[in-house]
Amino acid sequence: MTKLLNEEVSDQVREVFNGLKEPVQVLFFGKESDCDYCDDTLQLINEIVDLSDKLDLDVKDMQKDADSAKQYKVDKAPGLVIAGRDGERILDYGIRFAGIPSGHEFSSLINSLLLVSGRDSGLNQNTRQALSELTEPVDMLVFVTPT
Amino acid sequence: MLAHQMALESPMIEAEMVEATEFSELSNRFSVSGVPQTTINVGAGMVVGAVPEVQLLEEIQKAAG
Repeated sequence: MTKLLNEEVSDQVREVFNGLKEPVQVLFFGKESDCDYCDDTLQLINEIVDLSDKLDLDVKDMQKDADSAKQYKVDKAPGLVIAGRDGERILDYGIRFAGIPSGHEFSSLINSLLLVSGRDSGLNQNTRQALSELTEPVDMLVFVTPT
Repeated sequence: MLAHQMALESPMIEAEMVEATEFSELSNRFSVSGVPQTTINVGAGMVVGAVPEVQLLEEIQKAAG
């Protein structure tokens, strides 16, 4: 199969992944029909995860693994959950991607893998304080385009 | 990215990056015209463009305060 990531990009990403710290668990959710980008997304995330032994991929199906999809609040395919892993424990931070992470979103994905691996938001102290005082759940959708 | 940082920081926050052209029904529903567009709690809050940390925080506080 032809690789989606050419050698140059793979080398660059491998280099960036030297900054990975703690293990990251990626969950892929696809579905069998009516999903134009599921195959490409799965191939892409497979190639990315292969670039570091700190990254693990679990492949799931929206229908067959409906409980899991519900647990991780995945309602779109292809869907990616970027979680932490501590031994057998999955640490879900509510960080997801819906749709193929290509173009601009490719670097967003790489950054989110590094973010979760570091286990540190990097936000300033005032923001951290304000967020710790939130009393209601916040659900954000960030709409992006690949170009 | 900022939304994901906030999700990592707070157990109250979830953030999903949505490819707008692939999920056009959803982006139409939230009238996405420029990207990135951040929609908070099903339209209770909204930010267009990449904004500084403090501005997204304010919008979150307005929508979920």
